[in-house]
Order: sequence, then C-alpha cells, then structure tokens
Amino acid sequence: MTDENPKIEAVGAYAPRFRVSAEEFRQAWGQFHAAGVNSKAVPDADEDALTMGYEAARRALDAADLAGADVSFLIYASTTPPLAEEDLSARLGGMLSVPDDATRHVLTGSTRAGTRALDAALSAGPWGEDAVGLVVAADCPRGEPDSSEDHAAGAGAAAFVLSESGGDAAGDAAGNASGAEIAARGEYAEEYPGTRFRRSGSEAVEGLGATGYERQAFTETLAGAVERLDFDPEAVDAAAVQAPNGKLPYRAAGALGVGTETIQAGATVHDLGDTGAASVPLGIAKALAEGAETVLAASFGSGAGADALLVESAGEGGEGIPASLALDDGEEVSYAEYLRKRGELTSGPPDGGGAYVSVPSWKRTLDQRHRLLAGKCPDCGSLNFPPEGACNACKSLVDDYETVELTGEGTVEAATVISQGGAPPEFAEQQAQSGDFGVAVVALEGPDGGEASIPAQVVGVEAGSVEIGDRVETTMRRIYTQEGVTRYGFKIRPQGTK
Amino acid sequence: MRDAYLVGAAQTDFGSFPDESYRSLFRTAFEAARDSVPAGLDPEEIDEAVVGTLGVGGRQLGLSGPAATEHVGLHGIPTTRVENACAASGYAVRQAVQAVKSGMADVVLAGGVEIMTDMSGDATKYWLGVSGETEWERLSGTTFAGVYAQMADAHMAEYGTTSEQMSHVAVKNHRNGAKNPHAQLGFECSLDDAENAQTVADPLTLYHCCPTTDGAACAVIASEEVVSEYTDDPIRVAGVGAASDAVGLFQRDSYTGIEASQRAGETAYQRAGITPDEVDFAEVHDCFSIAEILAYEDLGFCEPGEGGELVESGKTALDGDLPVNTSGGLKSKGHPIGATGAGQVAEAFKQLSGEAGDRQVEGATRGLTHNVGGSGGGAVVHVFEKEREVEA
Repeated sequence: MTDENPKIEAVGAYAPRFRVSAEEFRQAWGQFHAAGVNSKAVPDADEDALTMGYEAARRALDAADLAGADVSFLIYASTTPPLAEEDLSARLGGMLSVPDDATRHVLTGSTRAGTRALDAALSAGPWGEDAVGLVVAADCPRGEPDSSEDHAAGAGAAAFVLSESGGDAAGDAAGNASGAEIAARGEYAEEYPGTRFRRSGSEAVEGLGATGYERQAFTETLAGAVERLDFDPEAVDAAAVQAPNGKLPYRAAGALGVGTETIQAGATVHDLGDTGAASVPLGIAKALAEGAETVLAASFGSGAGADALLVESAGEGGEGIPASLALDDGEEVSYAEYLRKRGELTSGPPDGGGAYVSVPSWKRTLDQRHRLLAGKCPDCGSLNFPPEGACNACKSLVDDYETVELTGEGTVEAATVISQGGAPPEFAEQQAQSGDFGVAVVALEGPDGGEASIPAQVVGVEAGSVEIGDRVETTMRRIYTQEGVTRYGFKIRPQGTK
Repeated sequence: MRDAYLVGAAQTDFGSFPDESYRSLFRTAFEAARDSVPAGLDPEEIDEAVVGTLGVGGRQLGLSGPAATEHVGLHGIPTTRVENACAASGYAVRQAVQAVKSGMADVVLAGGVEIMTDMSGDATKYWLGVSGETEWERLSGTTFAGVYAQMADAHMAEYGTTSEQMSHVAVKNHRNGAKNPHAQLGFECSLDDAENAQTVADPLTLYHCCPTTDGAACAVIASEEVVSEYTDDPIRVAGVGAASDAVGLFQRDSYTGIEASQRAGETAYQRAGITPDEVDFAEVHDCFSIAEILAYEDLGFCEPGEGGELVESGKTALDGDLPVNTSGGLKSKGHPIGATGAGQVAEAFKQLSGEAGDRQVEGATRGLTHNVGGSGGGAVVHVFEKEREVEA
C-alpha cells in the first residue's frame, strides 16, 4: 500500500427503527434458526436498499461536513437492489446531489459487494484535494419465511467518505494525521457452489443446509484472505466479520487469529441481523466510530470468496473518526407485523388503478423530490415549491425563478392521519403493510429565510404524533410504484428521529 | 343585462342504484325538472343545455353532455359538458344563467349527473382523488378526506374549533335529511354516533364525511322575456358569483378558509345587492363537516373562527334564524359529484316554491346555494329570490 490511497474521512450508518426479536420468532415457529441474533432490523414498507443507502450516505457526508456536490466517485453495493437491472447509482447520486460527471459503480450479486466497493474506491482514488469518494453499502436480504436465512435476515446500511487527506483540516487542528487508512488488503476464492444463493427472479436467498460444507467454505475463504495480510492479531481492536447469523463469525475466530471479544467489538448482527453486503461495512463503521484504532475486516461472499482489509485509524486516544451512526432500535414489532411490513401477507397493489403521473413527468419533479430545489419569485421574493407557473404568493407569471435549495428543515402547518380505507389506492398496499400514516403540510425553510409549503407523508414516528408547530426534517423514501417503476421522493420526520 | 329566472328544478333520489345508468338518471331528473315548471315546459322550447359531470368511473368522459341530452330527446341543441369537480353543475347553472342573460338563449337546461357506487372500493377511491392536486397532494397519500382533515386540523388549532362542533353539523344535516324523501342517508344520527364513529382521516370521523352517491339533478333557467309563460310567481337569479384558486391546499394563502368561496360569495351578494344577513336559507357544500363550518365563515354568516359556535348555537338548524342545508346537505342527502350543484338549486327551488314539506322554511324569499370544487380550487354561489314570501 502507498500513501497514494485515499483514506476514510468519515463514516455513516443507518438501520431501520423497527426491530423484531428472536422471541417473536420462537413464539411463531416454536424455534428460531438464527443463532446469536437477539433482534433484527425491519425496514418499513416504504424503505428499501436504496433509501437505506441514502440515509447512511447522507450521514457520512454530514459527519465529514461535506455535500454531495463534493463527490466525484460514487459506488453503491447491495445484494438487494430494488431493481435487478437499472443503474441505481444515478438515482442515489441524484438524491445526494452528486455531480453529473462523477464516476459511478454498482456492485451486487455477493455479500462481498460492500468490501469490494471499498477496495474499488481505494484503487480509483484519490480524486484530488477538493473531491471525495463515497462508498455506500446497503442491504435487506430475505428468505422464505421458514428458512434460517429469513430468520437471520436483517437490514442496514453503511457509508464511507474517502479522501486524499482523510480530513486534513481536523487533523491539522489536532496536530495529528486524521482519517483511517486501509493499510492492507487481501483476497481469496475457492469454488464452493451452493453455499448461499438466490435464483434469478427470486427475492429469497437459499442455503442447502449442508452445515459442515458451508462452515468450511466460510472459514477457509476468510482465513485465506486474512493470511494475505501482514499484521499483528494482538493489535486488532475490533474485527468486522461477515455475519450470516450471530454465531458464524465467532466460529471463524480461530482461523482469523482474533478473540471473540474482538469480533464482538465489530459486530452488529446481534441487534440488526444479517445485513448482507452491509454486514462488514457496518462493523467497520461501528468500530471506527467507537474509537478502534486497528480494525480487521473480513467479508465472505458465497461461491465462494473473501476480502480482508486492515483498517488503521490515525486518530489517537480512542476518539474515533467523524461518524454519524443511526443504528439504535426504535420500536418492537410482532412477528405478524414483521410479515405485514415485508409484504408477505398483503395482496399487492389494487386493480383499481392509482393516480397516474407518467414517468417523464415524475422525472421533471426530481429536482424537488430528490434535491429540494425551490424557486425565488423575482417579483416578490417568495419561495415557490415546485417553482413553476405563477407565483403562489403574488400570482405574477414568472419566467425564471431563482433556484434555491431548501434546507430540508421546516415546521408542520397542518396534519392528519389517514386511517385504513382512507388512502388512495396507490397507497393501499403501503397502508396494509404499515398501518395508518400521517400526512402533513409542512413549511420547508429556504437557506436565507422564507419558506415554501408542501404536503408530505410523515415517517419515523407513530402515526398521529406530529402536530402543528412541530419541527421536522426531510428524508428519502419510496412514494409508490407504478408500471414497475418505483418513484422515490422526500418524506418528513420529526427532527432528530430516524 | 336582462334578468334570468329559475322556473323549474328537480332531482332524482340520491343513493345507490345498480339498475340505473347515467343516462337513465339524467332522464329522471330531466322529466322531474320539466314537471316542476308551474305552467309546464315543452322540451322543444329548450334552446341549449349545460351538463355538469366529472365522469367518475370514466364511463363517458368525452361528449357526455350530448350523450345525456340526446338520450332525453333534446335533439340538435347545443350541449356543453362542464367539469369543475364537485362544483360541475353549480357551474353548469351559472353557464345557463350567462347564456340567458347574454341574450343568446331564452330557455336553458342546466343539469348534472354522476354514478359513483357501481365500482370496486379501490376504483372508487381512485376516482375520489382525481380532483385533488395530483403530483404532490395526492402523492402524499391523501384524498379529499385527508386534505379537509388538514384544514380541520389547522382550523382547530387556530380557532379552537372542536370535533363535537363538527359532529353537530352531521347531526343537524341528518335531522334535515331524514325529512327529505330524496336523501341517500335519510336517517337521524346522534352526537355520540358522530363522535364515536371510526376515524377516516384524523380528526374526521365517518360521520364527518359525505357518502358516495348516484344521482342527477336539473334546473331550467328562463329569460325575463319568457318567464311569464312558465310561472306567475317567478324566482329571480338575483346574483351569481364564481371564483378559482390553486387546486392544492399547500399552494394557497390560508388553510382555514376557502378564498374561492369568499370571492364567489362577495360577487353574488354584490350582484344581488344584499348582505349575508338578508339570506333566509342556504344550501352549502358540506362534503365534510368542517367544510360547512368554513362555508359559514367564508359566506359571511359569521366571523372567521366562529363557525363551530354558529352550528352549536342552533342558528343554522331548520328552526333557526338561518337554516342551512335543509335538504340534508351533501352529508345526508348525498354527493353525486357532478349532480350536487344542480341538486342544491333543486332544493332552493323547492323551498322558494313552498314545496319542501316537513322541512319547509317559513316566510322565505331568498335562498343561497354554495358549491365547491375539490378542496377549494373552484366555487360558485347563487342567490335566488322572489317577491312574495313563501307560505308554508
């Protein structure tokens, strides 16, 4: 490795707020097939691997005090991209305001994708003094409900901002180097078919249940990759090891040369479940945020192959690198609610049709839905959102609104909760999965004062808990899917929640 | 400009009629309106027709006006379909008045029709939302129940309006509707019924929401030149006002009032040369109970913020100083979108003709109708008056 490689400047992480416990599974099934998983994260009906990736990326950029405009390299990794074919880095980049000439990659098809993405970014960067790379890994695997894969299947996302200096300014102020360096990396592959796979067209990962064979594939490849690293196992503070369940990483401890406490320091599986391609990235993010100075990362992808990375944080004194992690649990759900949220019990969108907004006309609103671009009326100075036609305030027909980006923060002006049966048909499926939802008219604030009103769904809290005057912020969620095309856009949540 | 007169108006039963088509319902309303003209009306004398309909279900979106008028034998006359969502036939009546006042026609049929109850629940909900602002408001997950619920929320926060006051609207209108043989939900409801009904969109309960309805209504507007051929007790269209506003609530200045109603009301009062306290009865657009409270304020029956107290005081009850929605309103009589405005005019005609039976307002000489499109993207107000007091 050389100094030419970019360093990790900041990390972000996100897990949905819902949790289902192992006990819920035991009550439903009489047994639980995911050893070592105490609870796992459950995405809401309007979340997926793209919106979770956005959440983590936004947090990583915020932690680095950077904006999407600073990103010149974006790589997105997931085994569960919401579409099997479409370059989702375009949409993710759009949601983050990444410049249109940034380099973009999507990696999928293996739970190694997250570490492969980090590896690819290391090789691609650095991107100069004023540009950074953004690595995003997000996953929400699922299996057939009676499978051990599904019992383990969790959800989460991690993101890394990579730069030449690793965050020079902060480092200079402290008189030290900053960021985290990937000091060594290794790979290993050996043919192990059938160790964890998902058939084309299926959403469910499968395993053969050939326990000894699968464990051998896991430990052999991980050990093989780690052997390529030249490091002192004693110096490792935390090991982020692929966690298809809560037990397997510990079984690899011997092969990796680290103790179980070290593995626990880099584990999120006990609370979040199997997070697929985000498993190891989440472990790295957690360990770095908690001040680990040396992190051993070891990811496994069925087939089989493994990546090993040695991450060394330059920060001293256990302060960690800039991080914004939102991994806390929010609300326990029952097993039945878990199945509902995943759409196992609902019958899909109704036949009656929904509001038809053509995809091209939807695309024309993405400056607003993804990037909150409002327009200032040249005549009266009022903010209009969306900025088109006559000004809402002075009614003059405007040719050119001055583009301003809303802050994403605002105040509730009016709110309601749409009860079962009260939703338009295009939201009936979401409501069947998630229950009543709140809708508020919110006044979003401009960067230099002023505000623009817009209606939006409320997420992140129990329906009905948002009131007039409450402070809210925007986030990104699925709005609805029509003609196979999911339309994403901002929703709102009380400030400081997730 | 010359005067226009309301010489006949009637409606079908409002309800759910699996055996009826939009054309058969329109025919029933047409024949009833024809028969309501005191001296009779020869269809040959109708110069023109205006038909209000949204086209719920998409059954005949194009040329639905001619499809209706040709069906009833009004062959060859110009027919225009008017679409302004729930205010479609209020606007159809206005167009008829305009045609008569301009001198282009002497007798104009203005009607409306809608079939809403023959579809699946999902298809119904789809159509119920088509008049909201689609790209943002609808796609935040609301139909009109949600948008009016937001208005109720804002009104409650600003003025202290209560759920119970909204329930009083439902109780009053059901009490009136129980006296109207044409009403869809012609039964009384208690305050407890309204308060404890399931929530549709917080704070609105089921009893704060109007039903979906099949129905049709027609009115006949005649010029001052020919009015004496049809009646010797003429009802003059004293004033008409109409106004538009942004379709989405979020695009408007106020969430606690409907500016289009305010403007339409002011214009109608001004043209009629009256003030709000000179109105003897009113049919207002109570698609949701909060909407009636807003209407009181927007039409000047009380000050902004006092609408809840007004209904609670009983002043707008059938035996109050200003009876509102004697027909039962949209809440109890029903709300067949395209027919609602003409249906309100049919009630005004009945009242001013002394034909309102158990719900007759005694001594009335002046009635107002108020019809709103969507959550306030359009509104139209008519003031009808006659010389002689109605004798009950």
